[in-house]
Amino acid sequence: MSALVLEASGVCKTFGGLKAVQSFGISLAGGDLKGLIGPNGAGKTTVFNLLTGVYTPDEGKIALAGRSIAGKRPSRIAAGGMARTFQNIRLFGELSVLDNVKLACHVRVKHSMWASVLRTPGSRAEERAIEGKARGLLDLFDLADRADEQGKNLPYGDQRRLEIARALATDPKVLLLDEPAAGMNPQEKKELRDLIRRVRDEFKTAILLIEHDMGLVMEICERITVLDYGKTIAEGTPGEIQNNPRVIEAYLGVEAADAPSGASNA
Amino acid sequence: MRHGVDQHAMQPGASSLTTLVRAWAPVLACLLLAVVLQMVVGPLLVSAGWDFAAKLLLDIGINVILAVSLTMVNGFTGQFSIGHAAFMAVGAYVAAGIVYYGSFRLFGSAEMAGGLLSSAPEGRQGAWLTRGDALFGLSILAGGVASAGCGYLVGLPSLRLRGDYLAIVTLGFGEIVRVLIQSQTTETLYDPEEIAKTPLWQLPKYLGGALGFSGLPFYTSLFWVWVFALLTVLVAYRIKSSTYGRAFLSIREDEIASEAMGVDTTRYKVRAFVISAFFAGCAGALFAHTVGVQLNAGELGFVKSFDIIIMVVLGGLGSISGAFLAAIILTILPELLRSVSEYRMVAYATALILMMLLRPQGLLGVREIWDKRTWRWLTGSRTRKRGGS
Ligand SMILES: Nc1ncnc2c1ncn2[C@@H]1O[C@H](COP(=O)(O)OP(=O)(O)OP(=O)(O)O)[C@@H](O)[C@H]1O
Ligand SMILES: [Mg+2]
Repeated sequence: MSALVLEASGVCKTFGGLKAVQSFGISLAGGDLKGLIGPNGAGKTTVFNLLTGVYTPDEGKIALAGRSIAGKRPSRIAAGGMARTFQNIRLFGELSVLDNVKLACHVRVKHSMWASVLRTPGSRAEERAIEGKARGLLDLFDLADRADEQGKNLPYGDQRRLEIARALATDPKVLLLDEPAAGMNPQEKKELRDLIRRVRDEFKTAILLIEHDMGLVMEICERITVLDYGKTIAEGTPGEIQNNPRVIEAYLGVEAADAPSGASNA
Repeated sequence: MRHGVDQHAMQPGASSLTTLVRAWAPVLACLLLAVVLQMVVGPLLVSAGWDFAAKLLLDIGINVILAVSLTMVNGFTGQFSIGHAAFMAVGAYVAAGIVYYGSFRLFGSAEMAGGLLSSAPEGRQGAWLTRGDALFGLSILAGGVASAGCGYLVGLPSLRLRGDYLAIVTLGFGEIVRVLIQSQTTETLYDPEEIAKTPLWQLPKYLGGALGFSGLPFYTSLFWVWVFALLTVLVAYRIKSSTYGRAFLSIREDEIASEAMGVDTTRYKVRAFVISAFFAGCAGALFAHTVGVQLNAGELGFVKSFDIIIMVVLGGLGSISGAFLAAIILTILPELLRSVSEYRMVAYATALILMMLLRPQGLLGVREIWDKRTWRWLTGSRTRKRGGS
């Protein structure tokens, strides 16, 4: 078994009086594919924002490839190997599809800006490598023929895939996907499923997936963590999760007598 | 880099010689073009009786530097600086102080002592470049560096913060620079012996204060202006078309996504701001030594900053060629409309409002005139409406 690339434990975040995430923990090794689910407002995106440094956790430890990252700025964490997509797509709309991916290669660039200005051989070689890498990713994501279009002009499903391609261009150890299937039709979802698996297999990236499409989650995730009102209410294999009464209750919103969690804590 | 090596990366390895040529040929071309403007175009215009056109070319070049450098901040990184003229003032006064008092100390007087590539004919000494030119060239760079230093001091705290802090801070900075200079003594030393006796560190006090700094030698020529203008454009273009340019543009497009992709947005914003301030300082130095200019901080205030912003906005935020074009248009236009010059600000404001309504992205948007997309857009083969913000 490979070493853990992401280890989080006891992570908490409060917004005003709202405990958005409570004592969250997860561990991922290279090649792992795990799911993070929960009803709307459960705190899933907040978890991503905590892991990527958009928010600083109030408490808890987060380690990326063995190094603590809590409190570091997002760009440092990205450089350390964490990449993400956004629930509400955040492409660089005015830039071309190709440039969106090329930008993400920037974090691994070694030459200085002065080398760029002087167009040194080193900078040229690296620019060529970036071009090749970006086009390779566009090929993989079936976006090659849209390379010159502006990001904002792509159809929705393509934008979602472009976000994944862009995230991968940073050479991540951990890839966080926030509802990548949202707004996709069944055919696109099927392709996305194959794509996520392929990314995991080819790049050996650890993937954490937030998704409301239960079919997709249950099919591709090895383990699933379920959040409700910021609390982790279950963790296990898809089979275990599907039959977990607390999960069913959280999703169906049933007030069960033997459930001391959730409402009483809010 | 799994997908790093494929057919695209495998372009036949350019020999080191061609790489060298491709890197430096444009720089040489800039130099050559500036020399041609100075030695051929300038004299031709003058002999045709079009002296005003030669003078206009100086103003255009300086405005090109200002507009293109501001494009790096307001256009590339999407920040909003409204104190560009203050950086110009810093560069102008630093360079002017060095040239004026340096001339006295080194050559015994503030007479213009430039060669063929500098402007005033009576000062020419036959050589292409003289000691006077060396002093002037170095003082331009010193003005740029001083201005860049100020850019760092102003940018670092304000660019850390989000939102409109930069606008407020740059506005404040502009006023501080102006007031600081204007509140100094109005004295300028002009007695060589007195200047020789005054300690170096005391000379910066005597920059003319509120009366303006007079008696500066007019070194600024088509050569000097256009060397810097063309190099500014070249540097801006090379940055924009490199991986660093994409990093700058990504900040403007979506700061959160940019940061998530590993771009240290604060650092890059400061960097763009410092480079921009450097070139503005150089422009100021050139402006200070232009024929007919009486350097006065009062003229390098908010109104001048606003003029530069208009150029950047008109050209299209982020477009180098757009800023270039706008600088040309907005330098010539006021000359044509001299008779109604008191309405200039009204006309600008109206033009700006119309622009915001009809073409909020400016003449060219983020595009360059040589982009394929520009031509598709000009010929109307692509007219997709832009969505939200
Ligand atoms: N910056 C913030 N300030 C205040 N409250 C916030 C902030 N971000 C998130 N919240 C709140 O935290 C809770 C969790 O939000 P989050 O976006 O993480 O939910 P989610 O599980 O991703 O939901 P969805 O499935 O709808 O995307 C919500 O109640 C939300 O309103
Ligand atoms: Mg969410």
